[in-house]
Amino acid sequence: MRVHLLIVAALLVLLAPPALAHSLRVFVTAEGQMVRGYGFFVGGGRPDGAAWRAEAGDVTLATGTTDGEGAFGFVLPGPVPGDIVVTVDPGDGHAASATLAADRIGGAASPPVPAPGGGPTVHARPAAPMPNAAEIEAAVESAVARQVEPLLIRIEEMDARLRVTDLVSGGLAIFGLAGIALWLRGRSR
Amino acid sequence: MHIPDGILSVPVLAGGAALAAAGVAMGLRRLDDRAIPRAAILSAAFFAGSLIAVPIGPTSVHLVFAGLIGVMLGWAIFPAVLVALALQAVLFGFGGLTALGVTTLAVAAPGALAGAVFGPGIRRAARPAAAMWRGALAGALAVLGAAALVAVALVLSDGHFAPVARVMTAVYLPLAAVEAAVTAFALGFLARVQPGALSPLAVRA
Repeated sequence: MRVHLLIVAALLVLLAPPALAHSLRVFVTAEGQMVRGYGFFVGGGRPDGAAWRAEAGDVTLATGTTDGEGAFGFVLPGPVPGDIVVTVDPGDGHAASATLAADRIGGAASPPVPAPGGGPTVHARPAAPMPNAAEIEAAVESAVARQVEPLLIRIEEMDARLRVTDLVSGGLAIFGLAGIALWLRGRSR
Repeated sequence: MHIPDGILSVPVLAGGAALAAAGVAMGLRRLDDRAIPRAAILSAAFFAGSLIAVPIGPTSVHLVFAGLIGVMLGWAIFPAVLVALALQAVLFGFGGLTALGVTTLAVAAPGALAGAVFGPGIRRAARPAAAMWRGALAGALAVLGAAALVAVALVLSDGHFAPVARVMTAVYLPLAAVEAAVTAFALGFLARVQPGALSPLAVRA
């Protein structure tokens, strides 16, 4: 009998191609005043038309629905009080959030501030003035953000992926529990 | 069906946990020695099978097998589902541990009910085809019941009915059709090769 049950169980697991795992995650990043990202399901697939909202503390910064690629984006309306939390909510209980730390927000687009002591007093080439320290910092932050974005995406996906070892471990844990239950029942008789 | 932490209100979480605990206790009391390996097999099938999902619109859906497990295990569906959901939460972060009670209740209660309503007819069916039709109904209604319970939990926590109802209807009606086919196939197969497996009490054929 157990052979037949195992056949049914195996078929049930194999019956649902294309196999895409299920659990919503959110990726969010900032470039200057632009905050953007996307929702994704572990293993593949993006939420199309899911509601999203961005909040900083108790302040709602922006809301909308994801596009066909699960993406969202908005321009910061101004200084934010702290970390930004973006929540993607399909409406069926599978909501997920991601936090964008305050120190990653707005660096590239900070308004230029005069360098300490004022600008250079002597301009060798007035037509191409040297950028001040704030402009250099903003440009570097913008370039670094662009360069590390693929890495952040990759890390997020690796962190969220299903691992076969975990899958096998879960199955074996269930059978281990069944064995323990049978042993306990045997002892109690 | 994998509700994360922070979505549901505390009273809903507490109520769901209490009802799920009662169901698990009832299930464990009715689980005899011969049904334990069966419960483990079905729990493992639910554990692995419900990790496999297909994106539909704003969300993604997976098979639940609630009707099938309810027919084969009766009340023992509660501990079987609880163990699988707990492992999914711990190993993969699918669903929150605080919502485990509500999620267990949402999957197991309609399954147990479907098993109680359709199980006797499926076991008495003279032909496998009759068992398949009843199994299809059990599978479809169990998943729709699960969706309805999740919707109730969300509405009780959030108060917004219309968006939840729209998503649930769009997503779970197609899933119910697939679930009906899978349950009918599985129960029809067992009715032909091992009718005794259709009884929660593991009565040998």
